[in-house]
Amino acid sequence: MVALDDAIQACTGCSTGLYDAVVADLPVLLHLSSSYPDLALNKQIPTGERYGLVLSKSNPELTAGVSRAIRDMKDDGTISSLEVQWFGELLSTAGTSTEAGATFKVSSCTARPNEDGTSNVIGGEPTRLTFEAYAGAEEQVTSVTLNMPDGGSFDGSSVGVTVLDGLKRQSVDSNVDVKGASMTVSFAQPIAGGSLVRLEVEGAKLPAGGGDVRLTGSYVTAGGTSGQISDVPAITTVALSPVQAIVKWLDGQAWVSAWNSNQFLGMFFKPQLLVTSLVSLFQGWVLCLILVIIAYPFAVLLGLAFAFLKMSKVRILRAIAVVYINVIRGTPLFLQIYIAFFGLPMMGINISNNILGIVVMALNSSAYLAEIFRAGIQSIPRGQNEAASSLGMNAFQTMVYVILPQTIRRVIPTVTSDFITAYKDTSLLSSVGVMELMMFSKNLTATAGNMTPYMAAAVYYLIVTLPLIKGVTLIERRLERAQSGSGPRPKVESSAQDDKGEGMNTAAAIAGDTILGSTKVSEERRERKPWVMDALSAPFRPSLPLGGAADAD
Amino acid sequence: MQIKSRNKAGNVPPALSADEAATLAFEHDKSLSHHAFVEGEHPDVRIEHLNKTFGDNVVLRDVSLNVWPGEIVVVLGPSGSGKSTMLRCINLLETPTAGHILIKDKEITGSRKTDVNKLRRDLGMVFQGFNLFPHLTAKKNVMIGQTKVLGKSKEEAEAEAMRQLAAVGMADRADFTPAQLSGGQQQRVAIARAVAMHPQILLFDEPTSALDPELVRDVLGVMRDLAINGGMTMIVVTHEMGFARDVADRVVFMEKGVVVEQGTPEQVFDNPKSERTAAFLGNIK
Repeated sequence: MVALDDAIQACTGCSTGLYDAVVADLPVLLHLSSSYPDLALNKQIPTGERYGLVLSKSNPELTAGVSRAIRDMKDDGTISSLEVQWFGELLSTAGTSTEAGATFKVSSCTARPNEDGTSNVIGGEPTRLTFEAYAGAEEQVTSVTLNMPDGGSFDGSSVGVTVLDGLKRQSVDSNVDVKGASMTVSFAQPIAGGSLVRLEVEGAKLPAGGGDVRLTGSYVTAGGTSGQISDVPAITTVALSPVQAIVKWLDGQAWVSAWNSNQFLGMFFKPQLLVTSLVSLFQGWVLCLILVIIAYPFAVLLGLAFAFLKMSKVRILRAIAVVYINVIRGTPLFLQIYIAFFGLPMMGINISNNILGIVVMALNSSAYLAEIFRAGIQSIPRGQNEAASSLGMNAFQTMVYVILPQTIRRVIPTVTSDFITAYKDTSLLSSVGVMELMMFSKNLTATAGNMTPYMAAAVYYLIVTLPLIKGVTLIERRLERAQSGSGPRPKVESSAQDDKGEGMNTAAAIAGDTILGSTKVSEERRERKPWVMDALSAPFRPSLPLGGAADAD
Repeated sequence: MQIKSRNKAGNVPPALSADEAATLAFEHDKSLSHHAFVEGEHPDVRIEHLNKTFGDNVVLRDVSLNVWPGEIVVVLGPSGSGKSTMLRCINLLETPTAGHILIKDKEITGSRKTDVNKLRRDLGMVFQGFNLFPHLTAKKNVMIGQTKVLGKSKEEAEAEAMRQLAAVGMADRADFTPAQLSGGQQQRVAIARAVAMHPQILLFDEPTSALDPELVRDVLGVMRDLAINGGMTMIVVTHEMGFARDVADRVVFMEKGVVVEQGTPEQVFDNPKSERTAAFLGNIK
């Protein structure tokens, strides 16, 4: 199962066979089905959800205005014509036939998921139970009773009662009596036959321990006859997980309540949600790591190849490399992701999301790495080449034994920075259905209405990036020290080996030598360094520590 | 490394036949060098009418020079006189614009690239900036050419490296990296690296110019040792007058891309024929 931001992407994937089916809001699919003749509406899943407009309570005029506008559109037929235009049929008249039979009939009984970030219903934890039933056509129902199986309870729950006749809401006075595992709703006036009764029980607790839970019930009509409510659909529940146990424990802690009462802390660092987030984001984090760890070696090889192409003596090869590198570095990764994930399926090429994600990440990084490697190779002083040549090495040997080993040392900090960027950039793949860290945290935040999952995601990103940043700093410092010649020295094996006898005896001479002799060289190096670092920093990539403009093409 | 146009700058006569040239060279050089000439000997290096330009800048004009086997030639001259360029032309680090260079009677100007790598095995070079490989220890710097180019085993190369490092007084620094060595130490390792390849001809490109005076002595000591005991042909570009006077078989004075004067150290230092040479030597002293 893949969550996508975009129904068009979902339908394209489905029509090319990447996905088996698409689940989305009915109106959206109704509209899209005209664009995808090979897709058909297969099943409608009633969720009890309705569309609504959210308006500020502090602006009653706006509410009134919107209501007026909708009423006007209904009255003058605008809505009907819009329905025909977008869905090809009149929805306000279609699909509203009552399912009223001879007797009280349950149409649905569901519980709202109460585990953060999943669609699980946990037994023993408060949930919202939604029960819908149609009264028999001739029945005048006066009361409805629901019973929990053993272990369940309605204690402390509040009940919302809605009675609908067709699409019209009936105002019915009702009295709710909650007692342990049983709950009775009595209506002041008998409700009309064929009406839909919807009971929304907030705070109901299904039996703990997991498994299918089936409610039972009964009803009484105005005539005094009572009947059993049968065939209540079962609700699948799960047992309380260790995580939920921790959350439950946290719920009971005084400091947690105090913590959460601070608006900022409660919104960004809610302990309960942090625990559940960290657990449910884990698999997204693992996918992030897998993506970048598989993609990066390919990026390094490809980058090296393009670096050599760009330095090639053959003009056409150089041109190919320049175009590749500049096009990839000159366009956003986000765009590249969209082109790959929308474009390939539209051409009938189906690659699994994760593999395609790896491919795009590898191609993107390779362009940056190519520039880093090229700059690194060209930053090696010409004298190294000459020294290797004067020993009789050919171009290949010079590259492999002399230039590349030095290049690798020099580019490690920059490459690590690029790796950090690539790792963070996997988050962009969340927009095209790769179930990575960002995707999970986005979904969690949407259901929890709280920023804490994003903070948990930040934790997962930082777990990887902070040590790497620290590592880069250490390496840079070490390189700095090695270049200025003040690194640790190996022990001198024997000081008596000095058979030249020209006053070069050992420690004192070494120390003197060092201070005097290295001055000139290290000055040379210090002069050269800014250029090297400038050349190494890839100019288009903002995350690099050194902003440089030295991108010589 | 293709030579684009060999005879672009002026009318350069074709290279002479080996015996002809050797005879001519002998006639020319016999009174100018302490070299012990052997009958029938051919020069190791023959430079004939060498021209080199960088763009509009003429660096070498019609330079001709012979270097005999085992001869120590020291090239003197002010900065920018083209002496380093001439040296770099000999192992084709610079491509001559016109003229001929022959190593052991084999013309290298215009030769193919594969020949160049092979040629360079016979030509060792020591640079002004040392150019040690900074990622390798002193010992490995001396080993790498032997193992990768000469195909020696690691053990052989290591033994040879230690021998050469000992010869330059650097055996106790074998495991140091270049950054941990002083300039003078680095240059001595660089000399060991060049000598370990056992080239027939060793080129020194201002080997002491980047060193502090105190360190120059050690490097010159090593070079003097090589000159006396090494048996190699050496061409040394330097500003060290003392070294030239003591060690050279022949001193060549260059200025503005031209060989102004050459001769034994005594001839050049004590009795310079050219005013310019005299002025230069006078200034230096």
